[in-house]
Amino acid sequence: MISCERLTKSYPMGSGRKQVLRGVDLQIEPGEHVGFLGRNGAGKTTLIKLIGGVEMPTSGRIHRHMSVSWPLGFGGGFQGSLTGYDNARFIARIYGHEYKEIRDFVEDFTELGPQLKMPVKTYSSGMRARLAFALSLAIEFDCYLIDEIIMVGDANFHKKCHHELFEKRRDRALVLASHSPETIREFCDRAVVLNQGQAKIYADVNEGLEVYAGL
Amino acid sequence: MDKLAAGWRIQRRVISALMIRELVTRFGRENIGFLWIMVEPLLFAVLVGIVWRFMKGPEEHGVSVVAFVASGYIPLTLFRNAVGRSVRVFSVNGSLMYHRQIKVLDFIFVRFLIEMIGAMMAYLFIGTLLILLNEFPVPADLGAFFTGWFLYCLFSFSLCLVLAPLSEMSDVLEKFMPVTIYIMIPFSGTFAMVSWLTPEAQNAMYYSPFVHAMELMRQGIFGSRVDAHYDVAVPLAASLVSALIGLGLCRRIRRHLVVE
Repeated sequence: MISCERLTKSYPMGSGRKQVLRGVDLQIEPGEHVGFLGRNGAGKTTLIKLIGGVEMPTSGRIHRHMSVSWPLGFGGGFQGSLTGYDNARFIARIYGHEYKEIRDFVEDFTELGPQLKMPVKTYSSGMRARLAFALSLAIEFDCYLIDEIIMVGDANFHKKCHHELFEKRRDRALVLASHSPETIREFCDRAVVLNQGQAKIYADVNEGLEVYAGL
Repeated sequence: MDKLAAGWRIQRRVISALMIRELVTRFGRENIGFLWIMVEPLLFAVLVGIVWRFMKGPEEHGVSVVAFVASGYIPLTLFRNAVGRSVRVFSVNGSLMYHRQIKVLDFIFVRFLIEMIGAMMAYLFIGTLLILLNEFPVPADLGAFFTGWFLYCLFSFSLCLVLAPLSEMSDVLEKFMPVTIYIMIPFSGTFAMVSWLTPEAQNAMYYSPFVHAMELMRQGIFGSRVDAHYDVAVPLAASLVSALIGLGLCRRIRRHLVVE
C-alpha cells in the first residue's frame, strides 16, 4: 500500500510561491489501477513525482509499503548521453539485477535493435517510452507510475504493454496520468480528479471522467 | 541492524554503478579511456616542475625543485578539480533523482572519489618516474605521507559538501569561485614549507587546514631534509565543521530540488 497524507507542494514563482497541491490524501492498494485526471498544470505530474520520491513534498508524508517504480514519463530516469545499453547496465546495477537478463528482455520488448547502441538523447519519444517500459518491467515493481507516456507508442507497443502490464502483471498496482478518457476508462478502476490543488477520488471511473470533462 | 546492513549494501552498489557511469560519460571507451583522469594532474606537475627547474635551479632549501613542485601540485589540482566538479552537481544529475536508492551524497562522493583516484594514479606514476630519474626521493615515511594525503582529501571533500549545495542556491558563487581558488593558492602550502617563511607568514599559515596536511605529506616524502610544522587537529576540526554544515545544506537542497 502507498499512503499519502496531507501532501502539499509549492514552487517558487517570482517573489511568491505557486501552490500546486493543497493537502492531498490518497491511498493506493496493491493491485489497484488508479487514473489521475486534471487539466494541464493541475499537478498530475507533481503528484506522481512525489509518490515516486523524485521530489519531496513541501509538507505531508508518503508511506510506501510496496516497491514503486520511478515515474515513467517524457523526461528523467535516463542519462541522455549514454546509450540504451549503458542505461540498461546502470539500471541493472543500481537495482541489483543481472544485466544479461535485463538486456535480453529490453532487446525483445523494445525491438530497437542497433539503436540501443546509440545515445538515448537521439531517441524519439516513442523509442524512449519503449526503453522506459522495458527497463521497469524487467526490474518488476509492485506499483508502476506512468505519466502520459503510454499514449505515445504505436499500435505494436500498445499491444505489448497491454500483454506485459495488464495481463501478465495484472496483480500490480498502477498509477496512470492521462488526458485520454478512453485510456483511463479501459485500464483504471478508480479515478482521481485533480483541481485547484485538491484531489477528489471517484470509485466510479465514469463519474470521475464526467467531472473532469466539466472542468 | 539488518536494515543498516541492507542500506550499506545498496549504497555500495549505487556508488560502484555511479563510478562506472561517470567514467563512461566523461571519458568514453575510446583510446586510453579512464586513464585520462590522471593526465591533467600529471601534465600540471610535469610542466610546472620543468618551468620551476629552469627558473630556480635543481635544488632549493636542500630539496629537489621538481620533486617539491610535483608533491605540491598534485594535491592542489585534486582540490581544484574536485571543487569544480561539485558545482551544480544536483542540477546536472537531476535524472538520477528518479531512482530513490540514489542519495545526493552518493554523487558528490563519487565525483570526489574519481578525482582522488586520478590524482593518486598521477602521483604514483610521476613519483616512480622521477625516482628512476633520481629527481624524487624514495619516501621517508609512507605513514606520514598517507595521513597527510587523507587529511588533505578529507578537508577538500568537506568543502565540496558545502560548495555543491551553495552553487545551487546562488549563481553568484559560481562567478566568484575561480578567483577565490586563485587567491587561496598561496595558503595551500603548495609552494613553500612553513619553515621557509617569515614568522608573520608562518602564523597566518597556521589557520589554513591545507597547510597542515601538505606539511605532513612533505615530511613523509622528504623526511629530515624538511622541517615540517603541522597540527593534525586543525584539518580534522575544520573538516568536521565544514562537513556538518555541508550535510545540513545538502539535506535542505534535496527537499527543495525541482527535477525536470
